[in-house]
Amino acid sequence: MTTPALLFGYAVAVACWAPALLGRLTAGGISARLGLAAWLTAMASALAAAAVALQYLARAAVTGWSRLAEVVCRSVSGHACTATGYQGAAVEFALGAAAIVAGLAAAVLAWRYGRSVQRAQQQTRAHTDVARITGRRLPGNDDAVVLDAAQPVAYCLPSRPATIVVSSGALAVLDRGQLAAVLAHERAHLASRHHLLIAVTRGLTAAFPAVPLFARGAGQVARLAEMCADDAAARRSGRGTLVAALLTMATGAAVPAQALGASACAVTARLQRLVDDPGPARRVRYGLTLAIVTVLLALAPALVTGFAGR
Amino acid sequence: MRGFGDLEAVIMHRVWDHDVPVTVRELFDELARERAIAYTTVMTTMDNLHRKGWLARVKEGKAYRYTATASRDEYSARLMREALDSGGDTQAVLSHFVAQMDGEESEMLRAVVRRLAERRPQ
Repeated sequence: MTTPALLFGYAVAVACWAPALLGRLTAGGISARLGLAAWLTAMASALAAAAVALQYLARAAVTGWSRLAEVVCRSVSGHACTATGYQGAAVEFALGAAAIVAGLAAAVLAWRYGRSVQRAQQQTRAHTDVARITGRRLPGNDDAVVLDAAQPVAYCLPSRPATIVVSSGALAVLDRGQLAAVLAHERAHLASRHHLLIAVTRGLTAAFPAVPLFARGAGQVARLAEMCADDAAARRSGRGTLVAALLTMATGAAVPAQALGASACAVTARLQRLVDDPGPARRVRYGLTLAIVTVLLALAPALVTGFAGR
Repeated sequence: MRGFGDLEAVIMHRVWDHDVPVTVRELFDELARERAIAYTTVMTTMDNLHRKGWLARVKEGKAYRYTATASRDEYSARLMREALDSGGDTQAVLSHFVAQMDGEESEMLRAVVRRLAERRPQ
């Protein structure tokens, strides 16, 4: 019984404490790609550990049941109970109940996750259909459409065919180079399939709204995905052009009264990391730390299982 | 023109450009002047658009006359509402180039701009 207990303990520990550690390591967006990998690995690690623990529990409960049946049968028929490894009716019942409750909980969580992902997919699909019919082709860009709207807005739609939407308000304020930077940023999202990461992590947030790792994870993944796309755009168009594009789009945008609180995809943090180069020493230090944390998180469930199995 | 979906866009934009209801024949004549296209393709596409709720039609003699169920601006406005409503009902995965900002955030942003200006005095 120690293996599932240790695995579950590990999953809880990662779910509760990883956000603080990773939050600190990835706050500045140094090595955004490794930061993204670290967050995703932490989530996968916690889920894998919990799933293996659940499987152990289910197996323990099922083997107990056959013995329990045997015992009940023998006691009814008047013979003595001789089954080996049997831990007593109370323990076996408790184990069975725990396995059933855990299995049901997993089913509910999977359902919540699936519903969230499916809804997001349907809405994105519908939005893409309307955008592709309503928008005008952006000349010279087969994958981009222009929508008539005063606010400077640009976003990408991952549904097939992948489409980038740029508002006419954005075209009015961006110069040619800045527009190229915006398109490069959105194309980086599409090429790296960031929408899948965002859909999956949002689904996990919907499934585990009270678990810190998943509650914070989706926002962090979205933020780091923005920074990865920024890096791609900066490589293509230059940092200066990207910073100018970000400032133009951000300050030109009308700020609605009901705007998000502390926006997860904060523009300021993105600008700061583009403007303030951390230098090679800090970049290597952060990159190395993140790489080590990621590898440890990836190996931990197997290590815990092996350690407990001895 | 690439694929069927794009023909839907082309036809909707034509319908929007007309102020009066149009027939398949009228749109076909317009399009055939610019590209090689079959009458039945135009008809099928307009039928699909009607089925999907983009076009309304009334029978006139043997043919239908089509109008858009909503204007281009109405669709654009709807899309923008959806795109900007990131905290509300919309769950669509749209990766915005910049997120919407609150007052505090735009104040921080202005501070960054000031620092940039100080760094490059011109």
